[in-house]
Amino acid sequence: MLELRAITRAYELGGERAGVFGVSLEVPRGCLAVLAGPSGSGKTTLLQLAGLLDSPDEGEVRLDGQSVSSLPEPARCGLRLRRLGFVFQAFNLVPVLTALENAMLPLQLQGLAEGEARRRAGAALDRVGLSDRLHHRPGQLSGGQQQRAAIARALAPDPLLVLADEPTASLDHAHGGPLMDLMAELAAERGTTFLVASHDPAVIARAHRVFRLADGRLVEAP
Amino acid sequence: MILPRLALRNLLRQRRRTALTLMVVVAGFLALSLAGGFMAQTFQGLSDGAIRGGLGHLQVMAPGGLEGDEAQTLERSLPDGEALAVRLRQDPAVAEVLPRIQFMGLLSSGPKSVAFLGTAVDPALEPKHMACLDSLKDGAKAPGGAGSRWLSADPSAREVILGTGLARSLGASVGSLLTLMSTTRDGALNAVDVEVVGLQDQGLRELNDRVLTVSLATAAQLLDAGPARSRLSVVLKRPGDTAAEQARLQALLPDTIVKPWFELASFYRQVKLLYFAIFGFMGLVLFLVVLLATANTLLMSVMERVREFGVLRAMGLQARQLLSLLQWEGAFLGLAGSLLGLAATLLLRAGLNALHLQMPAPPGTSHGYELDIHLVPAVYLAVALGLQATLQVSALFPGLKAAKLRIVEALRHV
Repeated sequence: MLELRAITRAYELGGERAGVFGVSLEVPRGCLAVLAGPSGSGKTTLLQLAGLLDSPDEGEVRLDGQSVSSLPEPARCGLRLRRLGFVFQAFNLVPVLTALENAMLPLQLQGLAEGEARRRAGAALDRVGLSDRLHHRPGQLSGGQQQRAAIARALAPDPLLVLADEPTASLDHAHGGPLMDLMAELAAERGTTFLVASHDPAVIARAHRVFRLADGRLVEAP
Repeated sequence: MILPRLALRNLLRQRRRTALTLMVVVAGFLALSLAGGFMAQTFQGLSDGAIRGGLGHLQVMAPGGLEGDEAQTLERSLPDGEALAVRLRQDPAVAEVLPRIQFMGLLSSGPKSVAFLGTAVDPALEPKHMACLDSLKDGAKAPGGAGSRWLSADPSAREVILGTGLARSLGASVGSLLTLMSTTRDGALNAVDVEVVGLQDQGLRELNDRVLTVSLATAAQLLDAGPARSRLSVVLKRPGDTAAEQARLQALLPDTIVKPWFELASFYRQVKLLYFAIFGFMGLVLFLVVLLATANTLLMSVMERVREFGVLRAMGLQARQLLSLLQWEGAFLGLAGSLLGLAATLLLRAGLNALHLQMPAPPGTSHGYELDIHLVPAVYLAVALGLQATLQVSALFPGLKAAKLRIVEALRHV
């Protein structure tokens, strides 16, 4: 489903060369895959390349058999909108919108009618256990609830691939574990593919596949 | 409709800052709208003054009638002006035709003589259509003006109304007997004894020092004018049709020149140009203030939301949609600012007009006037549209800045 072929993306960081170098990996549909490794190992860079937020210097990103990394930005933007979902470490919900409106946002950007967007967003929030917090703004939700709302926002458009960058880093253990259980359930239940960047052992323990990175290179793959 | 909703919520997020920005827009609207209302009052006053001061809506004159002083009395006059006036009165668009004779000469009190500019009018028709009685009322307040009255309609009456300055220079007052001297059409010197029946204040000091008014019968005797008239002042039934009627009557009277009042009222045109220049500059400065204030607000708002914009872009929001989002924010600021500005304008206008403030006499004129700021919907609309355009322009730079953000850098932004 997701295939990275010999991906290289280099940049200067503090006078040193950093990034990812010649990374190849494959994640099948419905898989919960984890990019593991210490800070600075290139997890986030690789996740951003897989999520079409950045372009590789070399190599190719393939999504569902199609090469997508060299597409122009408007086309990549369209792919992100319709086929990808994102979950961030700091939740990054839009603060002026309620949980329901946040989950409706990508659907409305796709052009769905408000009623249909409301129905699908409500179902996504219900699935992550937030049906009683639909009309709460992010500031009125706990960290765990915000992250679940963010997952609902990522899942509402029914994407092929959800990319999550350190999704448990801002949560305590009591919330981090159940969140990963939820992702694993969703992967199994809906066939959604998850690619998670994390160094949290609780996350790695629940992964179907683990790709370990060190200094921008893949050092261990399943 | 998600972008307008998001824009509105973003504005409400920073209520204090939005309120401050709105105040700038409201102040801009208020200043420009009140200035527009004041200008409208001034233009209305000046146009009324020109039309009712003797020009009428149209002036009919002989060819060459605008070519400066005549070497000989009634040299460039309408030879049978009275007959032409009768003909024009039959026209369905014409309410009245007021024949006039303009002449020059000397006015003597015996020991002293002063040059004058005279106008001869029909004493019966003139007060019905022109503001001659107003200037007479003002002249009655001047020394020697007590008991001022308008010219008698009796063709045998030999009466004169003097400008207040002219009366002062001759030491004349109501009831004084003076002698008018001028040349006839043939160039012979002629004189007529007249009684001062009133003083007039035309509002302009230079005019008051030189003008006098007599009846057509008095001028006809003095100048041996016969049916000749310098000009015909045409009062239209529908003043709004002045331009169209000018063209029509000009075609109807090819041997004459027909001019609309606004081409002849040079003071009106000069003041209008001056006001446009002053208020145009003021408007430019105000638009610039609004532009900078709102651009600053929106730019600050963008800088505070870099990460949020990164998330939206990551989710699939196109760069042009981000630009639209900022345009919506500018649009809401402009709309709300104009609506509040309109309400403030109507309130302040009503309050100022209720105070019956007396404005000082404008330069060159002799009396002030009461402030009456006009209600001008067209000005309000123009100001609202101008402000809206300013707001959209001010949102452009922050919008472009937001649209150009690199997603990965925006997501890292703290």
